[in-house]
Amino acid sequence: MRRDPVVLILVALLVTFMLAFGFHRARRVSNQIGAPAPNAKGGVAPDFTLQSLDGKTVRLSDFRGKAVLLNFWATWCQPCKIEMPWFVELQKQYGGQGLQVLGIAMDDASPADIAKFAKDLGVNYPVLVGKEAVGDAYGGVQFLPATFYIGRDGKVVDKVFGLKGRGEIEDDIKKALGQGQAVQAQK
Amino acid sequence: MNRFSSIPVPVMLLAALLAIAQDDIPGRKVPSVVMSPVPTASVTRGKSSTVDLSFRVGSGFHINSNTPKSEFLIPTSLKLEAPTDIVVGVKYPSGEDRSFPFSPDEKLNVYTGDFTVAVSVRPLASVLPGKYVLRGNLKYQACDNAACYPPKQLPVQFEVKVVKAPPPPRKNPGQSPHIHT
Repeated sequence: MRRDPVVLILVALLVTFMLAFGFHRARRVSNQIGAPAPNAKGGVAPDFTLQSLDGKTVRLSDFRGKAVLLNFWATWCQPCKIEMPWFVELQKQYGGQGLQVLGIAMDDASPADIAKFAKDLGVNYPVLVGKEAVGDAYGGVQFLPATFYIGRDGKVVDKVFGLKGRGEIEDDIKKALGQGQAVQAQK
Repeated sequence: MNRFSSIPVPVMLLAALLAIAQDDIPGRKVPSVVMSPVPTASVTRGKSSTVDLSFRVGSGFHINSNTPKSEFLIPTSLKLEAPTDIVVGVKYPSGEDRSFPFSPDEKLNVYTGDFTVAVSVRPLASVLPGKYVLRGNLKYQACDNAACYPPKQLPVQFEVKVVKAPPPPRKNPGQSPHIHT
C-alpha cells in the first residue's frame, strides 16, 4: 500500500493533538473528581461541627492558625488503613510545627467499632464521627480516602482523592504548614 | 476512501492509551456490579432446586467476598424475600485471595469479574403450582487499586415456576399368568 505523505503528516498532527488533549483532560478530571466548588484550592475550607469519638464537640475553626490534614475515611476502606499509620507518624513529626491531623469517619459502623479500628492502628489524632452534610460541603466525598490539606489561614492548599504515597502526603503537609505562616507571624 | 485507510489504527491505539491512562484515576469510573438475566426455573413442590445467579464486577474493581478476612470489611451478601412457603438458601462462591497495590503484603478475599451465587429454592407441599417472583438485594462494597466506594445495593429478581411433583411410581400390579400376544 502506498503511503501518501500528506496523510501521514495529518495523522501525526492528529495523534499529537489528541495526546495533548487527552492528557490535559486527564489532569483536569483528576483535579475535578468530587470537585468541591466551595473548597477548591485556595478557597476557604468549609467549617463544620462534629462529635469526636470521646464525645467532644470539634469545629474546624478551632484549629485556625494550624495546618490541618483533614482525612475522610471509613473502617471498610482498606487503602485508608494503609495511610492512617503514616498520619500517626506525621502527626508526631510535624505536630510541634503546627500540624493537626483530623480524621472524619464516614461510616455506618458504631462509634465503638470506629474507636476499636482507630485504636488498633494507634491513631493519635482526633477522629470525628462524620455526617453526610460535611461530606457534601467538601464536594460530596464519593470515594475514600479523600484528604484535604488546609493552611494556617484556613484555605485549602490541596485535595487528594484515593491513596497516595507517604512522600506526597508529607510534601502536602509542608505546603500546608507554609501557607498562612506570614499571616500568622503578623498576628 | 483508500487515502484514509491508515487513520483508524493510530487513532484506535491512541484511544486505548488514553483509556488506560484515565482508568488509573480513582473515581474516573463508577464501580458496577450487574446481574445476568435468569430464565424462569422450574422447581418441584417439596423438592429443593438450585438457581444460579450470575454477577459481573466491572473491570478494574473488586468487591469483598462473602467471607472477607477482616471484621471491618463489608461482605457481599444476598438478601431475598421469598413468597410464604418457599424456602430459600444462599450459597456464595469462595472468593479469591488477592493482594493489591495499596497493600501488597496483605491478601484480601474478593470477587472480581464473573461470580455465581447459588440459590436453593424449596417450595413446600402447600404451595400452589404457578409462577412466583423472588426479589432481593445484593449488597456489595467495591474498591479499585487506590480508593473504596460506599456500599451499594443491587436489586435482584428472578422467577420460578412451581410444578407438582410427579406422582409416585405405582407398584406393579400382579402379573397375569396368561401370556398376551
